[in-house]
Amino acid sequence: MPNQLFTPLGTAVVAAGVWAVAGLLVLRARARAFGSRQPFAAAAGDPAAGIRYAFTGAMSPGAKESVREHLPSYGLGLAFHGGIFTAFALLALSLAGFELPRSLWLGARALLALGAMGGLGLLLKRLLKAELRGLSRPDDFVSNLLATAFVALALVSPGQAWLLSAILLLFYAPLGKIRHCLFFFMARSHFGAFFGRRGVFPPGGSHVH
Amino acid sequence: MSGLMFHGQAVALNEEGFLVDPGIWNEELALALAQAEEGLEALTEEHWSVIRFIRGHFEEKQGAPMVRAVCKATGLRLQRIYELFPSGPAKGACKLAGLPKPDGCV
Amino acid sequence: MSTELEQKLDTLTDADYARGLEVFRGGLKEAEASYLNACVRCGLCAGGCHYHRTEPELENVPGRKLDHIASVFKAHFTTMGRLAPGLVGAKRFDRDMARAWVDAVFGRCTLCGRCSMNCTIGIPLPALFRAARRALGAMGLVPEDLQATVENSLQHGNNMAIEREEWVETVEWMEEELQADTGDPEARIPLDKQGARCLFTVNPREAKFFPLSLQASAKVFWAAGEDWTLASDGGWDLTNYALFTCEDDQAAAIVKNLTDAMTRLGCQVLVIGECGHGYQSARWMGPEWLKQRFPFPVVSILELMDGYLNEGRIHVDSARNQEPVTLHDPCNLVRHGGISEPQRRVLRRAVANLVEMAPHGVENYCCGGGGGQLAMSRYRNRRLAAGKKKADQIRATGAKVVAAPCHNCIDQLSELNKEYQLKVQIKTVAELVAAALIVPTHSEVLP
Repeated sequence: MPNQLFTPLGTAVVAAGVWAVAGLLVLRARARAFGSRQPFAAAAGDPAAGIRYAFTGAMSPGAKESVREHLPSYGLGLAFHGGIFTAFALLALSLAGFELPRSLWLGARALLALGAMGGLGLLLKRLLKAELRGLSRPDDFVSNLLATAFVALALVSPGQAWLLSAILLLFYAPLGKIRHCLFFFMARSHFGAFFGRRGVFPPGGSHVH
Repeated sequence: MSGLMFHGQAVALNEEGFLVDPGIWNEELALALAQAEEGLEALTEEHWSVIRFIRGHFEEKQGAPMVRAVCKATGLRLQRIYELFPSGPAKGACKLAGLPKPDGCV
Repeated sequence: MSTELEQKLDTLTDADYARGLEVFRGGLKEAEASYLNACVRCGLCAGGCHYHRTEPELENVPGRKLDHIASVFKAHFTTMGRLAPGLVGAKRFDRDMARAWVDAVFGRCTLCGRCSMNCTIGIPLPALFRAARRALGAMGLVPEDLQATVENSLQHGNNMAIEREEWVETVEWMEEELQADTGDPEARIPLDKQGARCLFTVNPREAKFFPLSLQASAKVFWAAGEDWTLASDGGWDLTNYALFTCEDDQAAAIVKNLTDAMTRLGCQVLVIGECGHGYQSARWMGPEWLKQRFPFPVVSILELMDGYLNEGRIHVDSARNQEPVTLHDPCNLVRHGGISEPQRRVLRRAVANLVEMAPHGVENYCCGGGGGQLAMSRYRNRRLAAGKKKADQIRATGAKVVAAPCHNCIDQLSELNKEYQLKVQIKTVAELVAAALIVPTHSEVLP
């Protein structure tokens, strides 16, 4: 594929990417503007160890009942996110004019296929389960459709329609719940630090005393 | 809010089975409460000594007495109070004496 | 629907809503702002909640409860909430939303934090429920009986309005019982002992109605030869119901009773009796409310007992507690307090057969009585229905005794015992330890 960076669509994708990053940075600045807390209570554990655990063990089926009991959803979610990251990697390569080595094609296509199925599966779950439908906002459907389309098009028709879907996805990212690509990390860090200080994370304890 | 049928009339109880209006209490009502709320078919003299003391304390001072005061006034051992009122001094005895639910972890 | 609540909602003015929003906003820092932006409404938190486990409906999904709060946050504090409220689900703070908040954060939540552990993102939901409770408090929407318990503490120094003489008389009575029990006429329950190492604090419920747990704790201290004291006036009550109303100034005033007593009596260690919310209040929240580092450690009596056993200061014979025992994990002590192992080590020594619940420890379920639920009569039926999860857990262990290191939990467990015919005994850990104590001979106790 030729370098698409300087085609009109390619430029628009880059512009949308800049918009997404800038938007997320604004959101981060706004969250930070709420100010931070300097806790007074003496720590019982290490906040940093709590954060490390929050991003590792705490998300494993062994530690988390909601994962244990919903392995299909967990699998769909992993596949979906794997597909999205793959599609973005391919997008970057394609914009830069690099060809993916043929040896990696099969793997990439498999990840995209799984990702599209994951996105579709989660969408169906959201539509079909009454309780989840009740919990949902239009934002949830829009976000899923944009990301699922982006992954699916990367697989079946990585041309202009795909670039268009990338533009829409990147444009929407800071506006709706896709902002969790930023806030997941911010929230989980605070979560880990909180339970780390209190000596709850990691289990078994890195109790200071 | 729930109710207790008493002499053909509904007596208002709060969600936890305490009298909404402690003022309407009488000993017949105590027995009805014992049957409906505490699962006690009859009240013995020991029960009555506790209930009457708690009621008297309430009418005088507006609150529930310490279990210490109940033991002292009735001469009953603490363990006996718990046996007499399976739901305990607060949710058992105070309820039968027509008191409002005491505040706190009870 | 509560008529008391509807009447209060009738009286609210625009200024009240503005005040609520201001207080809500004031309780948010970067952490909470991140949480409010992070939920993806995946719904996987549902099973984490005992309300949802026992009654699976939308309003019992923790993410739904959070969404009521996030909707208002979006409408008032985010650009997209203002520009496209329908798309992102933003809702202005009005009568309907105030009612939804009250129902969600007071009516269907014990602030147990089990949903936090099961959240896909890692949102500690109680942090936001607390911000909402605080805002509702500023609007006068805290349930009256919950607030009354706080007022008691503010006016009387304890949450059951116990007079000083009544408290002192009860302590003296328990001291006599302790002397009779131990056969040691020198056994003491010290009051206002200046310079004692430990200031011990209790739940007023023990003083008022259930003093045997106080006697048990005292017996353990006696056996360990601990240098301890109770305060006679102000500073003996470890409870702090403002943890549940989330009114931080009142919480600070209440916890100050404890720090003042520490200063007055010159003690070195503040010891919290078996009470979950009391532990979280004094150990973790107290310094934040008072905005100061405490110059003394705050420990649970469970940690002390664990230490006594480790150091050989007390000895127990587990054969004296033959019946199978299971252990309840109070949320404020374990999930929010970080105290999980000491009570397990103690019980493994003090009882013959400890059967853990499934799940247990940080993953254990709330008894259903947390978050001030026991003080809110209007939600009693929901509280007991939600407690069925705990009742099922207890039944599955086959235990005859439930050890519950929290007086609030004990009260809920007692109700569950009756409601679900569990036929178990419910005891504090100290009661089980006291029953298993190999009593030292008289000369060993004397210094």
